[in-house]
Amino acid sequence: MILLEHDAKELLAEGGIPIPAGFLAVTSDVAPPAGLTGPWMVKAQVPVGGRGKAGGIRRAETAAELRQALDRVLGMTIKGQTVHSCRVEQAVQGMECYLSFSLDPTRGRLNVLLSTEGGVDIEAHTGKSIVLSADTAFTPDAAIEATCKLAGGIAGPSRGTLIRAAEQLIGKFFEFEATLLEVNPLFICNDGSWVAGDMKFAVDDNALVRQPRLSEFVHRRADAYPEMELKLTNGFDFIVIDPEGEIGLVTTGAGLSLQILDELAARGHNAFNFCDIRTGQLRGDPTRLIHVLKWIAAGPAVRSVLINFFAGITHLGEIAHLLVAALKAVPELRVPVTARLIGNGYDEAVAVFAAAGHPLRVEPDLDRAVDLALAPLSGARP
Amino acid sequence: MRDAIAARRVTPFVDPDVKVIIQGMTGRTGRRHSELMRAYGTRIVGGVSPGANVDAVDGVPIFKTCAEAVATTGAAASVAMVPPLAVLAAIQEAVAAGIKLIVTIAEGMPVTDAVRALETVRAAGVRWIGPSTPGLAIPGRLKLGFLPNVSLVPGPLGIMAKSGTLSYEVCHRLVGRNLGQSLWVGVGGDLVKGTRFADVLPFLLADPDTKAIVVIGEIGGSEEEELAVTMRTLNCAKPVYALIAGRTAREGVTMGHAGAMIQGNVGTIASKTDALIGAGARVFTQIRDLVDAVSNAFGSNNGR
Repeated sequence: MILLEHDAKELLAEGGIPIPAGFLAVTSDVAPPAGLTGPWMVKAQVPVGGRGKAGGIRRAETAAELRQALDRVLGMTIKGQTVHSCRVEQAVQGMECYLSFSLDPTRGRLNVLLSTEGGVDIEAHTGKSIVLSADTAFTPDAAIEATCKLAGGIAGPSRGTLIRAAEQLIGKFFEFEATLLEVNPLFICNDGSWVAGDMKFAVDDNALVRQPRLSEFVHRRADAYPEMELKLTNGFDFIVIDPEGEIGLVTTGAGLSLQILDELAARGHNAFNFCDIRTGQLRGDPTRLIHVLKWIAAGPAVRSVLINFFAGITHLGEIAHLLVAALKAVPELRVPVTARLIGNGYDEAVAVFAAAGHPLRVEPDLDRAVDLALAPLSGARP
Repeated sequence: MRDAIAARRVTPFVDPDVKVIIQGMTGRTGRRHSELMRAYGTRIVGGVSPGANVDAVDGVPIFKTCAEAVATTGAAASVAMVPPLAVLAAIQEAVAAGIKLIVTIAEGMPVTDAVRALETVRAAGVRWIGPSTPGLAIPGRLKLGFLPNVSLVPGPLGIMAKSGTLSYEVCHRLVGRNLGQSLWVGVGGDLVKGTRFADVLPFLLADPDTKAIVVIGEIGGSEEEELAVTMRTLNCAKPVYALIAGRTAREGVTMGHAGAMIQGNVGTIASKTDALIGAGARVFTQIRDLVDAVSNAFGSNNGR
């Protein structure tokens, strides 16, 4: 998962990484804390690149300009993501450098990039002489050694500061099991100190179970990381894709669920949600199904539900019993339900639904099931 | 002709008669899947379970360690059915015991562990499939993992897939057109993994039973792009059909699979599609279009 810049900074600042003083603003009606004087930077908090180019990062000299900037940035959409909060922080003066550490998943190594010319357009310079790069074994010692060697190519007093910054950042990278830690710009101030101007910090989802500080953070900031919080709490994936989506999905398997979203979109319909319920982990308990049906029932525009279970191992008869129990437990879900089921025990599943008397339609073919599920929707087209 | 002779000299991806041990065989998942694999024809010769006080499960001997299991049975492959945080240790133990092929099915192996595992298997020359994979199969002969029988039929297609369920669906529909598989490898949906698309490609190109290749990819990472590079390097002469899921995914959000996340300009549909098309593959966005294209290419004798 990618931490929002504000969260990444606060988390790493606790461990001694220097950051500009700042706070999180969710409305433009803010008064900066005492002692926090301008000029300020106002920065949209969305986990995507290119915020600056999209107009999501603005400078404000006065309190009036600060409110203006917040008014413009809050609520704007960057790469499809609404800006719900901004980090407001003091603008920093200094030499702008660039430092990043990233996992190379193909080779299982660490990439180090360093430049004394930081800024928005660093990607455009990658591969050019102003960006120094190295790859190294995926360990803190190897990373520090490689960075020192790179910094050897830098003249002047900034070299020592960059090496100190790298040592601190590498420590945090491995402590939190990160896959990316990029600081750009990394300000080197006249007194030889440094400050992390902007920060991109991605951590390994799979490691959250053994990263108590990170998982605590996810729970505390659940509104900013709803998908990850839900996964940590419930053990499966459910992501709201389009709050106004008309079709709710109860699906298993990440790849097939993703593909169903794509196929619905190709037919002009955004699904309300993505879902990977993992039928193999249900083990006779309908709780996950009940959760998912309740969340879908809360979707204001949902008019149809599509269930898709390709049961490789799990018996469909068993799943049908769980579905019947779950549907009974969520009477507020009053829209038509189509179940596309395939695998062992199809006939038994059909019989279970018939006996339960639920008006659910069962269909073994995915394309036909999608047709059935789309039929109740407005503007449905074949 | 010379190509065909050369092809036969290449080591196959997996020996269908390989002797297999199951690490974690006495657990709920291990026991169930071992039974299903054996029923499919896989030669399971032993199980490993350090804590279990049983000598055998369903007639298969249980050992305390991999070393003991390998020394006694001569097994060369292992399927690890252990929890995600135990996968690294299972791989290290299997490699130390002399296992040459290990499949780890658990989802949720931390990336740091996967990097260490990768270092271990590379140093020892061991093939690792996983993590987070339903496994691999030579239909009709061998299954290591839990690919569903309903989709497994011998045939001319080499399958490589990041996603289990999406590959089940695609292969099931292709089976409906009388098109089965020569080899099916689930590479898994994680970022760091033992075997990537580009690693499997040379084997599919050399395998005389593989007439066409189906790639089931998705957003995130650069595996599809790497495959495209390898297709060019190897002058890939077999038709490649690819389906890439995740057109509707949002940047910065993990879509179920730990590796399925667009980060900046890395891992986008456009990047993968362009790379694969540039290397000569046909890329599809809908399952039925891919199935129709593959089916049409094989002519009317396989149609319904």
